[in-house]
Amino acid sequence: MKYGMVIDQQLCVGCGGCTLACKAENNTPGDINWCDKITRTTGKFPDVQFEYVSTMCNHCDNAPCVKACPTQAMHKDENGLTVHDPKKCIGCKACIINCPYGVIHFNWEKPHEAWRDSEALVDGGTSAPLDLLAMVGGEGSPHANPERAATYPVMRSAGTVEKCNFCDHRLKVGLEPACVEACPSRARIVGDFDDPESEVNRLIATHGGKGLREELGTKPRVIYIRNYSPERHA
Amino acid sequence: MHIQARDFMTPAWAVIGLGLVLGGSVGIYEMFFGHLFATNSALVWTLPLVVYVFLALASTGVSLILAFGLITKNPVLEAETRPLLIIAIGLLMGAFTALATELGSLLNMIWIILSPNPSSPIWWMGTLYSIELALLAIKLVMNLQGRHGVLDRPLAIATLVVAIAAAFTIGAVFGMVVGRPDYYGTFLSLVTLTAAVVSGAAAITLLRDQDALGMLTAKVLRAGAAFLVLVVAIRLVLEAGPLAEGTLGWARLWMLIPFVAVALFIDWSPRVFAGVALLGALGLHYGFIITGQLVSLGPAANWFGAVQTYQPNLPEFLILVLGIAVAAALIKLGQQVLTSEPEAAE
Ligand code: SF4
Repeated sequence: MKYGMVIDQQLCVGCGGCTLACKAENNTPGDINWCDKITRTTGKFPDVQFEYVSTMCNHCDNAPCVKACPTQAMHKDENGLTVHDPKKCIGCKACIINCPYGVIHFNWEKPHEAWRDSEALVDGGTSAPLDLLAMVGGEGSPHANPERAATYPVMRSAGTVEKCNFCDHRLKVGLEPACVEACPSRARIVGDFDDPESEVNRLIATHGGKGLREELGTKPRVIYIRNYSPERHA
Repeated sequence: MHIQARDFMTPAWAVIGLGLVLGGSVGIYEMFFGHLFATNSALVWTLPLVVYVFLALASTGVSLILAFGLITKNPVLEAETRPLLIIAIGLLMGAFTALATELGSLLNMIWIILSPNPSSPIWWMGTLYSIELALLAIKLVMNLQGRHGVLDRPLAIATLVVAIAAAFTIGAVFGMVVGRPDYYGTFLSLVTLTAAVVSGAAAITLLRDQDALGMLTAKVLRAGAAFLVLVVAIRLVLEAGPLAEGTLGWARLWMLIPFVAVALFIDWSPRVFAGVALLGALGLHYGFIITGQLVSLGPAANWFGAVQTYQPNLPEFLILVLGIAVAAALIKLGQQVLTSEPEAAE
């Protein structure tokens, strides 16, 4: 089993639903998105083109972050996913420097600290974040998803990195990653690259496809198929 | 030597103490309480890491010169074994201090030993510098005990080999980054090895007496600076031509100035030009380490702009002060306690 993903650029509408679903599922801090976007604007008015590329960890077969990590905190799991063990992370940031995709993030401060604030924004009018947290419960944040804890800490520590792990806690129980499930146009398909009959392999066989910055030899496992073309919808 | 409290009541110790307090407070705050450095998700190695590279390479240079002298039985360097060991250890500890403020989770450091990754240049860098420190410490203890014998030469050879490998590996930490064209390639290992020799010779020239040793290291400094001029000039040409695509280019014309000045005028005032060489080396490391990260990769361009700018902030400058203060404190303490020349490092 080797998990990978296909993103169909013809179907992606750039809604950002994947980014938000990921954020909610994985309790990422405000300034960290495991799933994010690359935007490119090219050409000259009136001949302007805008491209939206949904992106996250590419779970490269030849992952530079895994090679660079001095403690094997960043490593490959049995399903080919690039995963992170925060217990072993010394916060050297070599993985961030070596990732050519800019999708590994560092927790400079303890995440979700704003929820530890005991002062209400409007005195007597709103709850203090800490009171709300006490009322709602949740580890460190009222939005915390306890299911995340199955494979990765819900609350990450300051001084360590974090990144997408294809929602490995969901894959383990037969669910799709949150970004795949949330995508309104089914532009994201996750599957087994080792299985020639899988939908991901069938799509790549039909449309071809390319990973990001493949020329670097990283062998990414997120493959983009079809460039967006308005004519196809006509 | 009998040490008394008044040995520390000197202007030099007052300056060092101030540096330790100011820099130490920032370092402790950064390590355990909060974040003060001018970093973000896409610009993660800033001035504190530059300070580590600068001091570690200076220490490596001192070790290289000393080991070479011991292997070739150079009487001038042999006579300076103890002070040079103290300088090399002091600079390396200053480097480690700066690095400690930069690492996120010091408590997890044990995993470097328990879960080693030999494909990681950082793992090799950590391992080589740990070995280097151990070798320097062993030699210092042997020197203090007046023990000389069959181990001297193998130890000196080991120190030389480890020092060369360590300087190369620092370059490889950047040079093996495939996704950042300003880092990628073996060129930076050439830069770090040459810079190590230059800054090591400069540190010795600055800190030791201007007698025969001063003349010797000034010669090394002149040759090293001339070679560094060549290296930076080659890089300037490469960045204007074949390397231009995808690189911002870290080599700048101003980087040549200090090393040209050292190569031409060191005889005028070896200590002043040794200082110039050290500043030049610091600027060189700063140039390539920061420039290599300025192009935002992937989604970072939406957050921070396609190309970032960076200015060190006050806490980061204070880590520079801390690294130098720790090195200075250990060197001075070593000279006061372990040698009979308390004024040498004034
Ligand atoms: S920051 Fe952590 S995961 Fe990344 S390379 Fe360093 S130790 Fe490994």
